[in-house]
Amino acid sequence: MSGLNPFMIRKRTTLLLLGIFGVIGILIGRLFYIQGIKANYYHGLAEDQRLRDIRVEPMRGTIFDRKMNTLAFSFETEAVYAIPYQIKNAQADAKIIAEKLNLSEKEVYSKLTKKTSFVWIKLKPAPEEAQAIKEARIPGVEVAQKAQRFYLQGSLAAHLLGISGIDNQGLEGIEKYYDQFLRGIPGSEQAEYDSKGNYIPMGERRFIDAQNGASLVLTVDQVIQYIAERELEKAVVENGAKRGAVILMDPMNGEILALANYPTFDPNRYAQFPSAQRRNWVLADQFEPGSTFKIITAAAALEEGIVRRDSPFFDPGYIVVEDRTLKCWRAGGHGSQTFVEAAENSCNPVFASLALRLGQQKFLQYIRAFGFGEQTGIDFPGEAKGIIPPLARIKNVELATIGFGQGISITPIQLLSALSAIANGGELVQPRLVKEIRTPDGQDVLKEFSKNTIRRVISKETARELATILSSVVENGSGNRARIAGYTVAGKTGTAQKPGKGGYGEGRIASFIGFAPVEDPKVAGIIILDEPQGPVKYGGVIAAPFFSTIVGDTLKYLEVKPSKSTKEHGPNSDENSVEVPNLLHLPKKEALRILSEAGLTYRELGAGEYVIAQNPKAGVTVKPKTTILLYYDEESRYGNELSTVIVPNLSGLTPQEAEKTLKKLGLKLAPQGWGIAHQQIPAPGTRLSSGATVTVYFVASNE
Amino acid sequence: MWDKKLLKNIDYYLLISVFLLMVIGLVMIYSATRNNYALTGGDPFALVKKQLIAAAIGVLGMIVIIFSDYRFPDLIFQILYGINLLLLVLVLSPLGMEVKGAKSWINLGGAFSLQPSEFAKLLVILTLAKHLADKEELDSFWDLWSPFLHILLPLVLILLQPDLGTTLVFIFFFFVMLYIAGYNRRFLLGIILAGILALVLLFVSHYYLGTPLPFKQHQIQRITIFLNPDRDPTGSGWNVRQAIIAVGSGRFMGKGLFQGTQGRLGFLPESHNDFIFAILCEELGFCGGFIVLSLFFILIWRCLVIMQQAKDKEGVLISAGITAMFLFHILENIGMNLGIMPITGIPLPFVSYGGSSIITNLLAIGFVENIWIRRQKLLF
Repeated sequence: MSGLNPFMIRKRTTLLLLGIFGVIGILIGRLFYIQGIKANYYHGLAEDQRLRDIRVEPMRGTIFDRKMNTLAFSFETEAVYAIPYQIKNAQADAKIIAEKLNLSEKEVYSKLTKKTSFVWIKLKPAPEEAQAIKEARIPGVEVAQKAQRFYLQGSLAAHLLGISGIDNQGLEGIEKYYDQFLRGIPGSEQAEYDSKGNYIPMGERRFIDAQNGASLVLTVDQVIQYIAERELEKAVVENGAKRGAVILMDPMNGEILALANYPTFDPNRYAQFPSAQRRNWVLADQFEPGSTFKIITAAAALEEGIVRRDSPFFDPGYIVVEDRTLKCWRAGGHGSQTFVEAAENSCNPVFASLALRLGQQKFLQYIRAFGFGEQTGIDFPGEAKGIIPPLARIKNVELATIGFGQGISITPIQLLSALSAIANGGELVQPRLVKEIRTPDGQDVLKEFSKNTIRRVISKETARELATILSSVVENGSGNRARIAGYTVAGKTGTAQKPGKGGYGEGRIASFIGFAPVEDPKVAGIIILDEPQGPVKYGGVIAAPFFSTIVGDTLKYLEVKPSKSTKEHGPNSDENSVEVPNLLHLPKKEALRILSEAGLTYRELGAGEYVIAQNPKAGVTVKPKTTILLYYDEESRYGNELSTVIVPNLSGLTPQEAEKTLKKLGLKLAPQGWGIAHQQIPAPGTRLSSGATVTVYFVASNE
Repeated sequence: MWDKKLLKNIDYYLLISVFLLMVIGLVMIYSATRNNYALTGGDPFALVKKQLIAAAIGVLGMIVIIFSDYRFPDLIFQILYGINLLLLVLVLSPLGMEVKGAKSWINLGGAFSLQPSEFAKLLVILTLAKHLADKEELDSFWDLWSPFLHILLPLVLILLQPDLGTTLVFIFFFFVMLYIAGYNRRFLLGIILAGILALVLLFVSHYYLGTPLPFKQHQIQRITIFLNPDRDPTGSGWNVRQAIIAVGSGRFMGKGLFQGTQGRLGFLPESHNDFIFAILCEELGFCGGFIVLSLFFILIWRCLVIMQQAKDKEGVLISAGITAMFLFHILENIGMNLGIMPITGIPLPFVSYGGSSIITNLLAIGFVENIWIRRQKLLF
């Protein structure tokens, strides 16, 4: 044991042991710090670097009509996307992807090299294309499930439903207004990636389910909507109007039954239509109402006791207000008449005098009470308010003109709500488009919207009195073309002059507003035709008949019992009615032959050899000689003033004059012969898209 | 030589803790390599099998050593020292194999290779213990020249590989052995402080005067990263950061055996080797880490007890050297897994993958047991 001192060894061993205790203690302490105190922090770091989120889109809610017919729904489709920073070799990958998806290589390459964390490559690949991409296993390129919006009925109620974008966002219409309900809550799928960014196919997966969007039940009925659109289309096309609109509402509770604009569009390919054509102008634009506003004047005057139905009036054909002479629409005036007769005649001086008798303050009070000058609160984005001139600016002349609907701006929906107040006994009710919000499957109701009465405007008695006066307007007066066989109708015609440069221009807005049946109103409606081109532009002549058909068909569909015998005169008697034959996809000649055999007339639209659409559709019962619209191409189907023009009558013009006339409209001339125009193809009044050619046959003049 | 008394005198605490550590090691090696195709070539048990073979060789060697006497004649020690130097020279010759910048292996053909620096540790401990035990005087500064020369030759050869980690192990057990041998404390402390001072001066002059450092670039980088771990998280700081993330994300109970992600997804490299402790902590949590540390504590503690009761100075110094070797490995490896020690590639005894390492460590245990069996009080 040389040199070994047991005491020293013991001492130094103890010191060494203490050192070891210290070292192990430090290690355990450090271990506890990392795994105990900082554990969640490091756990988060570990998850962040190996898991990547893929957003799982929720399914957008379905939109149903009031009878639970599907109008818009979403379904799953596949979509190819890329995560650009994971792309190793953009050049080579772009080539493979472009080949498999039938895209241009350049386009794919620019997407792959974008400085973004996410980019869609192709949204709706064919199933075999998606499969090919999956099999190619290109790092950073994936196939995701994506919800696709589909509007089942095509253009039906297009303006009302609106559109939603590729990333499930409501852009227009109800899709926009109820976006927060329809949208749903996105989920996520987390997938595992290794340190080099490679996707691990057998790796960990976490799903956070997406919550699908709620479904909506509209107040609109697709059958009534269809009736309205069908007739509106005919009204606009037959009268060569720039555009037209129809709103139908249940006057008792404010539920909108139909809302149609024409020209319309197909929301399934909305990008192909100009945004102006997608605009729901019937809610978003304001107009000068014209004669239909006389209803408001009458309501105020009756409620205030200024006038009774048999109050005597005399119309010399004008009324002098201060230094101005306001003329009646009928030269020479209506002479002696009762108030009812004045309403039937839509006599301007009478309503001007009522406004003057009411005075600025009282009249304005009623106008505001009826809801003019403020939004109706309808559940639709971008509703206009209309313009009521401020009190200070209303002198007697202005007051008198407002009495017959000039010098004030309103929206059609405001006017219809006001009329509904008269129909339902005096209460202003908020118009509504959505009845219920339901669970995504449409089974359970989450929220129900019920009638929202805004205020009482006039007494029940006044409302009833005015209703009978308005029914007399239809029965005996200017609105007689709005009569419906078997039902009593109350209503008012309107023909407003459109303001042009420095005063009123040539353009007219023809309208009819009314409700039926008078005793127990079920439907209130308004039809507006903007800038009709025909020889007659009166609302009572061109708008009223379509009101009659639309409301008449709606009442029958709603199984409202006729209150009058059906034998009575009327444009809609069911006797010897004709069923519209199916003409779809038939050659032109064949279709025309069938129509003439059936005793129907027709109007041809567009250029083409086959019928691609018809209006009314096959199976609808119409009276003989009804005009059936036949479309030969897509453009004419959705054509409007923006892209189409009406061929003018060129007869009697020289080639130079004809060419000048056509050039103004953007049409081309194909002259045949020489002299003055004798015949032309297509015939005057036909709608043509700009740039089309009109063939004109010229003959030598006799001189 | 077979004697029932011999078996009775074996220290079972030590053997059982070593056995448990090896079992844990094999399980963790399986977990860390089963999905690594590049390493296993398709057989998830490939590395486990190789480790088992090495362990079997080690256990055999350990048994042989237990039943022999550590007090070999002088000639044996001289031969062992010679073999050691020969192997270390061979590694540097064209026979040596370079892996990750260090020429530390000799290929034995097939899938097996030898890492002489592992064996060198044990061989130097044995010969140094003999040398120190034989020295009469060990008080003055000049008494140090022969032990210093003894360790310098193998040390330089290892530094040439270069293997800084193993060099540090040598320095550590060298000083512990001198300390236990009774060398003057003040001189010892002075040498250590002088060494530290020299290192500091070297670095200061490097940063301020631009003098070259006698280290490789990656070695300097490791020190920089240790001092400032967030400096380069995606480059040279990657390993430390990923090791700590692995440990921390295991939390208290771990992600579950074979449920770890850091190794499997390639975030933590060398997860079967240098960073096996991080993988263990990730999968088995604080509980697993604590158990492993406890087993190591038992191992060190038993080694110290054995050292204290060794029959002679040679036995004391052998067990002191071996204890120091284990201690440094544990401290450095676990410390670097936990981000409190700079990264040097030295394995965790009995747990990390590596044949030469496990054989050396088992042989070392054999010597410690041998010393225990022939301790003072129970002579036979």
